[in-house]
Amino acid sequence: MSRAVLELQGLNKSFGALHATRDLSFCVNAGEIHALIGPNGAGKTTLIQQIYGALKPDTGHVLLNGKDITSLPVPGRVRAGIGRSFQISNVLMDFTVLENGIIAEQARLGQSFRFLRPAFDDPDLIAGARKILARVGLNDRADQRVGDLAHGERRMLELALALATAPQLLLLDEPMAGAGPEESQRMSQIIETLRGKLAILLIEHDMDAVFRLADRITVLVEGAVIASGTADEISNSAAVQTAYLGSE
Amino acid sequence: MTLTLILEQAFNGLQAGVTLFLVAAGLTLILGIMDVVFLAHGAQVMIGAYAAAAIAAATGNFYIGLLLAVPVTFASGYLLEFLLIRHLYRRDHMDQVLATFGLILFFNELIRIGFGPAALYSDLPPSLSGFVEILPGTPYPVYRLGVILVGLACAIAIHMFVSRTRIGAMVRAGANNPEMTAALGINIKILFRFIFATGACFAGVAGMMLGPITAVQPGMGEPHLILSLVVIIIGGIGSVRGAFIAAIIVGLVDTLGRVFLPAMLRLVVDQATADGAGPAVASMLVYILMAVVLIFRPTGLFPAKG
Amino acid sequence: MSAIRDFIGLVGDGVKANQTLWLLVFGFALFPIFSYFADLPFWNDVAMRIMLLGMAAMGLNLVLGYGGMVSFGHAAFIGIGAYCVGISQFYGISNGWAHLGFSIVTCGLAGLVIGYLALRTSGIYFIMITLAFAQMLFFLFVSLEAYGGDDGMSVDRGEFGFIDLYDPLRLYFLIWCALALVSLALMFIVRSRFGVTLRAIKSNESRIEAMGLSPLRFKMVGYVISAVICGIAGTLFASWQEYVSPDIMHWTRSGELMIIIILGGLATLAGPLLGAIVFLLLEESLPMLLGAVAPAYAENWMIIFGPLLIMVVLFGRGGLTGIIDRLSGTRGNADHKAGPR
Repeated sequence: MSRAVLELQGLNKSFGALHATRDLSFCVNAGEIHALIGPNGAGKTTLIQQIYGALKPDTGHVLLNGKDITSLPVPGRVRAGIGRSFQISNVLMDFTVLENGIIAEQARLGQSFRFLRPAFDDPDLIAGARKILARVGLNDRADQRVGDLAHGERRMLELALALATAPQLLLLDEPMAGAGPEESQRMSQIIETLRGKLAILLIEHDMDAVFRLADRITVLVEGAVIASGTADEISNSAAVQTAYLGSE
Repeated sequence: MTLTLILEQAFNGLQAGVTLFLVAAGLTLILGIMDVVFLAHGAQVMIGAYAAAAIAAATGNFYIGLLLAVPVTFASGYLLEFLLIRHLYRRDHMDQVLATFGLILFFNELIRIGFGPAALYSDLPPSLSGFVEILPGTPYPVYRLGVILVGLACAIAIHMFVSRTRIGAMVRAGANNPEMTAALGINIKILFRFIFATGACFAGVAGMMLGPITAVQPGMGEPHLILSLVVIIIGGIGSVRGAFIAAIIVGLVDTLGRVFLPAMLRLVVDQATADGAGPAVASMLVYILMAVVLIFRPTGLFPAKG
Repeated sequence: MSAIRDFIGLVGDGVKANQTLWLLVFGFALFPIFSYFADLPFWNDVAMRIMLLGMAAMGLNLVLGYGGMVSFGHAAFIGIGAYCVGISQFYGISNGWAHLGFSIVTCGLAGLVIGYLALRTSGIYFIMITLAFAQMLFFLFVSLEAYGGDDGMSVDRGEFGFIDLYDPLRLYFLIWCALALVSLALMFIVRSRFGVTLRAIKSNESRIEAMGLSPLRFKMVGYVISAVICGIAGTLFASWQEYVSPDIMHWTRSGELMIIIILGGLATLAGPLLGAIVFLLLEESLPMLLGAVAPAYAENWMIIFGPLLIMVVLFGRGGLTGIIDRLSGTRGNADHKAGPR
């Protein structure tokens, strides 16, 4: 019996007449890759935002390792152990790759309120940043300005930054979106290396990648869970066939 | 006696409020729809006041001055948008602040060269310089009453226009979602220019009406600009309805506060303290109001954007 | 002992990385010698004004350039700093160090309150709210009759112990010391972990949140630091001018500070100082130039200056430091590049 890292209890969220999240409950277990799929407008991003803390649910609770984090704002949740990559690459565009790593490293160490020593010259921070970048193999691009990176490299960097805080739960919002086949494969490989080390909640439109990577899949339609199970169970589920896969 | 005073001051506050609305109405749309920090809106007030005063002096007729100043301010707004502002739409806010700040310096100096640094005083025609009794025993200047009525008429016209016409619908759509407006194929360039010129025109109308009751001088527009910014923040950027309500509130609070706050303070604290602090607090009242609104509603009372 | 050696090493590195700034700062140290031999004592006065406005602009640049917060109300802090001298003297406190202390505390508190309220918003709201708060303070001082109201109050230069400020050169060097200290402090801050985070917030606030940091706290601290720097400039401004009035915190002064920063170059250490030099030289020379061409209009130099400003906005990207960097072939933010020493 594996332990639940993330537990959602009866989440509801409405925007005016639109009921984006309906009485939603499920768990993400330690070490598993859990995919969240559903047609456009199913409320996947709204749900991620509620787990991440950017949106507050109208009712219901978000639990991380059994602790209620529903009222924590984003930075608090990150410190509690949630990491995230965004739908659109969210990195520090005006800085170099190494500088991105340094800023993440000093944030991880809780040293961002220091006023004297130059951060970008600090050997310890540089060493830490190199470690962060090494996880996604970006060290040879360290001196590149992020604005000049290829799309796929930016996604890698973002993943590295999300991993820098050593999260217990990683939210990946369409990590393959806009990537070429090679880049997608590279991303898949890296996600594969993370299996078992931390819990991952993956939103992805690339179904091949989802079925290859996911230990469990939850299907969301119109804000509610219609099915949850292993890849096999989901691909054989009649409800999913009609509601989702059939319509694609 | 006290009631008379209160009523009179309430009317003064109303008059300040409606003129403030005329300045703020265009500006809130410029800020909300075009996303341009346009600081030279105060200059439009000044241009309106000077145009009316100059034309009235040249023709000897106050009404012709008012009438002809309207197209002048419309034209100045139109030209300004065409020559400069349209180049600023895609710039960041700081660039807009600086460019329109430069514009203020330019306009103030232009007026100073053209009309001299001293304040211009224009006389009211006899038909407007009398008093009416708004209540038995409470006389009120005809002209100020006229300003209130014209201001309210303008407000109703703006409201009808924004809520009932096709262009008005575009304006509302633009305030909600500028990208969508562009996507709908609405000619955004012409819409912007039209809003800009009309906004300038209403600011000008405020200026020309204020002319005879305040000093017409270079830089006269800036206090109106700052107060109308306060109005826009309180009302919610891009919301014409919010601007109207906030303008009336600010006009009343400012006017009544200045008159009655020192006296009210005297009831609570000793006279010396009250006389010292009264005017100070009164002059800050609208800004305190703004801060309070911001604490509870960071996007104003009637945010246009959802 | 090794801590001191360490510190000196840090200063050395910083100076090497910010040569334009320190060239200017030391230029100001040597300027009185030049003006003495060239027999231009009046220009010492101009240089003091440049240093004071440049210092304030450097303070503003921390939030505006590095932090991306377009504050349009920093003149208020200059004003508070200046009134700290006037009001202290009104109650018989003539010690200049005390004035500075009051100024730092008061501006810090004012920065905290205004920052807390204003930083809840962003974009146009932030610009207008900072402006509105500055106006609020402006009208507050206009209405405080006890402290001169509209007309302001004349003040004596603060008593700084052995430094007699009525000796013009000592005043000059007091201002210079303040400039040098502010430059030094800012040089450390913008390169530090805090400064780097502040710049990262400007670049992408949500990524900083995703790293588990609250952007608001960094912005607040930056805002307070910049308010204090403007306050120090204001305090010295009062001593230099021997007069304080609400005019010192007129909203156009906030605009001037922004002009200075844009002219010089956003988010650079030398930019504000360079911008202040150009701004005040224009202010001094435009009337003369205009007077030479059209004597009747010498007073109306703003008619040139306004459009000039618009031109700078429309065509002059990166300001003067941008131009210098382009001429000398170095990259815009070369001094901030990461890498081993």
